[in-house]
Amino acid sequence: MISPNSMVTPDQLVRVVQTMAPEINVKETCYGCLAESDAKTMAAVMKKVREQYGNEVFSKVRGYPVGDPRRCRAQHGTRPGFAQLEAEWETLPLIQSALDAIDAGDTAYVAPVEKKPLPVKDLKQISEAYR
Amino acid sequence: MTIRIAQLSCGTEYSGVQYEIESAARSVGAKIVYPDVSYDQVKSALERFGFTPKSPQLQLMIARAVSLADGLYEADAVFITTCFRCAEAALVRNELRRFIQENTRLPVVTYSFTERLKASQLLTRMEALVTIVSRKELLARERQTGITAGLDSGSSTTKCVIMENNKIIGKAWTASGDVVQCATEVLEEAMKMAGIEFKQIEAMGTTGYGRFTLGTHFKAKLVQEELTVNSKGAVWLADRQRGEATIIDIGGMDNKAITVRDGVPDNFTMGGICAGASGRFLEMTARRLKVPIGELGSYAVKGNWVNAKMNSYCSVFGIQDLVTTLGAGKSFEDVAAAACHSVAEQVYEQQLQEVDVRHPIIQVGGTSLNKGLVKAIGEVLGEPPIVPPDSQYIGAVGGALLSSGVL
Amino acid sequence: MKIFIDPPNSMILFDLVERFGHEPLSSMALIQEKVDNIEVDMPPMNVTLDDVVKGLKYAGVEVPSGIRGRLAIWGPMIEAADAAIIIENPPFSFGCVGCDRSNELTKYRIKRRGIPALTVQYPSSEEEAKTMVGQIKDFLGGLKE
Repeated sequence: MISPNSMVTPDQLVRVVQTMAPEINVKETCYGCLAESDAKTMAAVMKKVREQYGNEVFSKVRGYPVGDPRRCRAQHGTRPGFAQLEAEWETLPLIQSALDAIDAGDTAYVAPVEKKPLPVKDLKQISEAYR
Repeated sequence: MTIRIAQLSCGTEYSGVQYEIESAARSVGAKIVYPDVSYDQVKSALERFGFTPKSPQLQLMIARAVSLADGLYEADAVFITTCFRCAEAALVRNELRRFIQENTRLPVVTYSFTERLKASQLLTRMEALVTIVSRKELLARERQTGITAGLDSGSSTTKCVIMENNKIIGKAWTASGDVVQCATEVLEEAMKMAGIEFKQIEAMGTTGYGRFTLGTHFKAKLVQEELTVNSKGAVWLADRQRGEATIIDIGGMDNKAITVRDGVPDNFTMGGICAGASGRFLEMTARRLKVPIGELGSYAVKGNWVNAKMNSYCSVFGIQDLVTTLGAGKSFEDVAAAACHSVAEQVYEQQLQEVDVRHPIIQVGGTSLNKGLVKAIGEVLGEPPIVPPDSQYIGAVGGALLSSGVL
Repeated sequence: MKIFIDPPNSMILFDLVERFGHEPLSSMALIQEKVDNIEVDMPPMNVTLDDVVKGLKYAGVEVPSGIRGRLAIWGPMIEAADAAIIIENPPFSFGCVGCDRSNELTKYRIKRRGIPALTVQYPSSEEEAKTMVGQIKDFLGGLKE
């Protein structure tokens, strides 16, 4: 899946991935591409994709084969997982910039702070101020 | 034409039942489709619908329903299904059913499943959805013509009706056993009563669990599930072919509650989870009381259910209740009334909650001959139901009526 | 090391774990095996009746079938994992993570297992994304065989 911030197009990605291994089946999608091969080849391909596209292209394993009618959008309409992938895709620019920062040596981050509810005593005071 | 059934569901793929759903749809010439929605549509749909379940898959269901209601996605029918025993899903399932009915003219059917899904029940629902969509004109038929026969092969009884020019001229029933043998028996008896021979029958319609077997055996012109057939039979018998009505059919194996508009079902529920809410329970009660099933109702109308409380959700425990009550010295009449009341209450609690009860209520099926049960249904619903003459023959009448449309 | 990711179908988590040199355990890979191995025209999707029955190990029969079916897939994955990363508040969780009850039970099973687990917040800004990615990198880097 290509990050929405990237200038890479699915069409370009498909052509490049296609050349990365002899035994690979690649299909263009709206968001990037589906690639199919044995696990070893795919691991090598993913390594090459990351080398070439850095933090612009993301990947995950897919349950169903490429073009499987059981999962194909054209056959039934979208499956539930599609909405999820779409939502994750929208977040990719944030992940991309975080990874870019780490690559640039900026590994510092703000530790998350847990928000605590306002003590009842304080809330009481505020409420009473409005009397 | 392939009928597109939009599936709004939660849990089907992880209960291992999606395959069954799709094959049931395929076997009746339909295809399961999922209304397309984007992630953003989910958010706006939840706002519009006004209910946000915790489970995202239920949120997606809502978005898909909104997409259908807004006409953004085309489908011919809607199938709403969720895991049995999930409270959150039950809330969404019922509210979505209502929402679809308020906002579209699409037929809807709901179903809650376990991993051991009942294929035949599912098939009946799918078939009914498809019939409603594809046989609109046939279902609009209000008069029977020529000489036709209807065979209803139910789980408890097998019934036959012969009609000529919109009148019943022959009828017969028997307890179900061998499907073909029982049907042959009732057909012959009905023909004898009508004074006709087999070759004079111009068309035949079969329905009920044995419909396919009988359809092949008798070369029937119409083989159709009992939901649409019974609806037609019920409104014909009750002379309520126009307008709205609710048909209640408490059967031996499953109960049906069907809402109809001009004789065509637009929503229905079929129960079948518990025998305690079926005609079978009344049979068991009669046997235990040692009274003929036909007389149970007469006992019941004389009794008062309040005196002998029975409210088990299961026929086994129900009979235990009955034994205890009899042991405590309660009268047969009170016990019979309590058994009828228990069935009526369960039909109300388990099934009628899933349809919007419309008036009048037409009670049909063999159990409608039980006056005690009819009285109990009236008490539970606050309105006495209409029981048309020959109310046990609805399926057979529907079969005869509709098959005259395919002469 | 084998890392259980929650949501188990998250692309972002899957990618980050792999990117940082570990093996993400995903529901997709398991489903792939099922889909490929059943030699019929249309195999049951995702889980079979047998799986749902196996799910009884994780939840009783009074629990809806969809929960047991999901746990039949995730339960063994959690048992096989060396560590886990959980996104606490994903704005998305459709498909196999569509059932909130199953998701809660999954988190509980991770806790019960007692393996190192990192919980991160789903980011809504660049700052938060840096926190999430940084936490994941540190967590994975700190795991010892």
